[in-house]
Amino acid sequence: MGTVKTWIDNNLKGDPIIWGIVILLSIISILVVYSATGTLAYKKMGGNTEAYLIKHSSLILASLFVMWGAHKLPYKYYAKLSLFALWISIPLLAFTYFFGSNVNEASRWLTIPVINQAFQPSDLAKLALIAAVARMLAKRQKNIEDFQNTFLPIMIWIGIICMLIAMANMSTAVLLLCTCLLLMFIGRVPMKFIMAVLLIGGLALTSAIFLGQRGSTFFSRIENFVTGDEVPYQAEQSYIAIANGGVFGLGPGNSEQRNRLPHPYSDFIFAIIIEEYGLVGGAGVLFLYLALLYRGMRVVAISNRPFGGLLSAGLSFALVLQAMVNMAVAVGIGPITGLPLPLLSMGGTSLIFTGISLGIILSVSRGDHEDAFPVEMSTARNFAKVA
Amino acid sequence: MNIKKSILLRIRFAFLVVAIFAGVIFYRITQIQFVEGEEWRKKSDEVNLQYRTVKATRGNIYSGDGSLLATSLPFYRVALDPSIAKDEVFRNGIDSLSIMLSKHYNDKSRDYYKRLISDARSNNKKYVLLNRKQIGYQEMQAMMKWPIFRNGRMGGGVIFEKVEKRFYPFKALAGRTVGFLNEDNYGAGLEYSFNAQLGGENGEALFQKIAGGTWKPVHDANDIKPEDGYDIVTTLDVNLQDVAESALLKQLMNKDAEFGSVIVMEVATGHIKAIANLQKNKNGYGYGELYNYAIGEQGLTEPGSTFKLLSIMALLEEGKINLNDKVETGNGTFKFYDRTMRDVKHGGYGEITIREAFEKSSNVGISRLVEQHFGVTPSKFLDYVEKAGINMPIDFQLKGEGVPYFKKPGSKNWYGTTLPWMSIGYEVKLTPLHTLMLYNAVANNGRMVKPMIVQQISRANVVEQEFKTEVMRKKIASDKTIKELQSLLEGVVENGTAKNIRNADYKIAGKTGTAQKLIDGRYTQKYYASFAGYFPADNPKYSAIVVIDSPKGFNAYGGDVSAPVFKDIADKIFAQDLSLNTKKYKNLVEVDQNQFPMIQAGLAEELQMICSKFGLTNKYEGGERWVKSSVANSAIYWAPNNVDEPIVPDVTGMSLRDALYVLENKGLRVQYSGKGRVKSQSLLAGGNVPTNGIIKLTLG
Repeated sequence: MGTVKTWIDNNLKGDPIIWGIVILLSIISILVVYSATGTLAYKKMGGNTEAYLIKHSSLILASLFVMWGAHKLPYKYYAKLSLFALWISIPLLAFTYFFGSNVNEASRWLTIPVINQAFQPSDLAKLALIAAVARMLAKRQKNIEDFQNTFLPIMIWIGIICMLIAMANMSTAVLLLCTCLLLMFIGRVPMKFIMAVLLIGGLALTSAIFLGQRGSTFFSRIENFVTGDEVPYQAEQSYIAIANGGVFGLGPGNSEQRNRLPHPYSDFIFAIIIEEYGLVGGAGVLFLYLALLYRGMRVVAISNRPFGGLLSAGLSFALVLQAMVNMAVAVGIGPITGLPLPLLSMGGTSLIFTGISLGIILSVSRGDHEDAFPVEMSTARNFAKVA
Repeated sequence: MNIKKSILLRIRFAFLVVAIFAGVIFYRITQIQFVEGEEWRKKSDEVNLQYRTVKATRGNIYSGDGSLLATSLPFYRVALDPSIAKDEVFRNGIDSLSIMLSKHYNDKSRDYYKRLISDARSNNKKYVLLNRKQIGYQEMQAMMKWPIFRNGRMGGGVIFEKVEKRFYPFKALAGRTVGFLNEDNYGAGLEYSFNAQLGGENGEALFQKIAGGTWKPVHDANDIKPEDGYDIVTTLDVNLQDVAESALLKQLMNKDAEFGSVIVMEVATGHIKAIANLQKNKNGYGYGELYNYAIGEQGLTEPGSTFKLLSIMALLEEGKINLNDKVETGNGTFKFYDRTMRDVKHGGYGEITIREAFEKSSNVGISRLVEQHFGVTPSKFLDYVEKAGINMPIDFQLKGEGVPYFKKPGSKNWYGTTLPWMSIGYEVKLTPLHTLMLYNAVANNGRMVKPMIVQQISRANVVEQEFKTEVMRKKIASDKTIKELQSLLEGVVENGTAKNIRNADYKIAGKTGTAQKLIDGRYTQKYYASFAGYFPADNPKYSAIVVIDSPKGFNAYGGDVSAPVFKDIADKIFAQDLSLNTKKYKNLVEVDQNQFPMIQAGLAEELQMICSKFGLTNKYEGGERWVKSSVANSAIYWAPNNVDEPIVPDVTGMSLRDALYVLENKGLRVQYSGKGRVKSQSLLAGGNVPTNGIIKLTLG
């Protein structure tokens, strides 16, 4: 026991509760995804249900490893990396829009050559944008009310990235815009500027609706939700799953709705969680996300530098907001968006990017990386240790 | 307020908003569970969802000449959701709809249909099957115009349920070869053997059961689309198949035989052009394709004298004999150990040449020669069998191929009498296909090709797989031996047991066979009569085998029973295949250069083609489909002959077929006398067409 504890102390630095929450959610994820992929495995893998279990588990492990790696790196480096990543994501997003592979009539995926893994450049862009906005806000805290030098550059970046994402994936773009707005609000940008962003973002999104690929689907979903005369098939099946679950659920692996709900392992995983683990399970998951957000918020309190605080806050909110939206869809208080539930849904590279986000939050939470700022030399040694 | 404090305050505010949102989600869960719970759980029982297979459309089977042998056609069952039609539509339409249904199905009265639908409607039923009988596509199109039905699925409530059915345009033609597939995926012929390719991949989709037992697809990302089956192009020739079947049927009925088989194969390629199998129906009336005796397990039988070709081949290859050597057949009997070998001719052939022994099919002659040269080393004889490639199944494209049976020297059931009897085609078992392969190899100058029946697998216009002719043995014997075997087979028809099919037009080469049937271990007075050969003998194009089992009557020999069928088939092929008799009829008829050709009137397109083929200059300016001939500058000029006007057309000079078509389209009834082309017509051309008029034609 002692050795395990010392190993953990030496290697898993940063907020221990965040570590705990992430590991707990990963375990739940493996359990629920295993149950929910039964139908998919039956049809696509000739009944080899373990195929998805193994694939998903290894991705979770990979994302945990990436998270561990990311938390080793002093977070000040993310400032520079974010700008770099932001520049890369512009051509990547454009390239994907025109040449990416089509899934459900929207090109969102790009296949990385050599390792042959499909990935969504929007995941990278999202992470980069939040980090970049946090950095720009932190840098300009002294003259945050300056429109031309503070507000304008930030707004231009947000506009470009959201526009590019919106062309293929409206839901992600809207959510990202909201997260950025929230981050700007936290970063003390005056409300009148945020209102201006809202206006411009709204305009950009409307134009994307009419020009982009997924515009009509997005539009019809919203229209459907607002008018609400007919419950869509997915929502109906989701409600049935939730109603079936009751207070304590049907038990792990006993979901019935997994055979009827489209994407039970991603978009509607929350409904399956409630069906199998009941109201208690659903509340537990809600609580875990809130706890994660709370710990992310505490990091801000600890951090002595605005960049660390804003970075941690931005990433925590991005993650938890998406989780909330996904769960809201499953219970029917939002239009169907197709956003996965971070940390729980099955999905390839988005898990890896979630891992990086959490790694960065942890890196900020370590506190010891704060020292890296004044003394540049010590970081080089730190870096060598990482390598 | 310092910066950090302000940021923290704002974050706390944001956190509070998110927490409240989480509370709303939680509240909504409890609402779904406790307030709406009953409703949703009930719905879960009601909404009957199921993954159901979406059947892939089965591929077609084509003949080598592009005719459709098997295809899948849509049929429909007609049902109605009687609750859908509006009162007005229903009231106005129900009477005439009932009348039309009753008339169409012709089984129940109009009142029955009216009651059926009205009752269902008043009981608020959502589904009523109007009739079990399935209708075709054309009928469905017609029905869609009926009252109530014409308001469609949404307005009238009509439901056409599609069922796919296998349809064979040529009915029973090559029935057993085209085959079938039953619901357990078991069957016969091409349908069964190529099921994997024809069947395609069934898809799967989520369906929701709607009231009344019908399933509505719920479109879902997890659906697997069905992948339609491939088409199969066979080597069969519909015309040859027809010829083979009718020739065989005629003889079977003639001889009241049990069953018979015919295979026709193209010599150079091994393409099977026809396989006919006819067997007495169980009820004793007529014949049908019930089993593929030509290829299958049950077709394995002692071949009899057709096997002598192999015996002579072995003897010649061994270099021990010369065809002009003498062999003593004595009085037609010869005792090997305890068994007596007999010749057909009572009193025997005496001392004859080996050539004569083969042509007359002397059992004593052949068996003595084989015993003399291979008696000590029978395995050497079997080496020649192996060299000829007929001792093993060939992995034919149809499943269920019979496995040739040969005894092994030295084994328990190998007796002293085995070799002599084997040499004349007993104590071995072959299918007609294997025997034909041997004859085809001889016709093909020793090159043995593998018989094949499927040449291509494709989807739409994309060829998926192409089957090329496979050479099984480059040379089954030396050129010299092959030449001698060919001359022997020609001799059988020229002077031997198949003299009856000799003809002046072209030469046939082949061998008769008459095997006594072994039933329950004893040889009976039932025979298996066969003829295997090829034609034209000088430049073989087709090989064929005819076998007839248990013919009744006096002459039950291969030469009498099977050879005539062979000739029937060969005659028809010869007459139809232009490439076989191009030079034959040159200068047959002296044509008077000044005489006008026989063709005087007809379809422009056809006449032009014929004249062009014969190299006659002809001119046509176009316009009308029908023309009359005239001469312009020593060339034929086609003058338009307008038959579309509502007047009596001029049909003189036309063939009867054309005249009938033209006149009957005018509503005239035609009576004719004589033979040839129309010489005169009773109604004057250009006059009015009388209603129900009769026109008399004189041909000449």
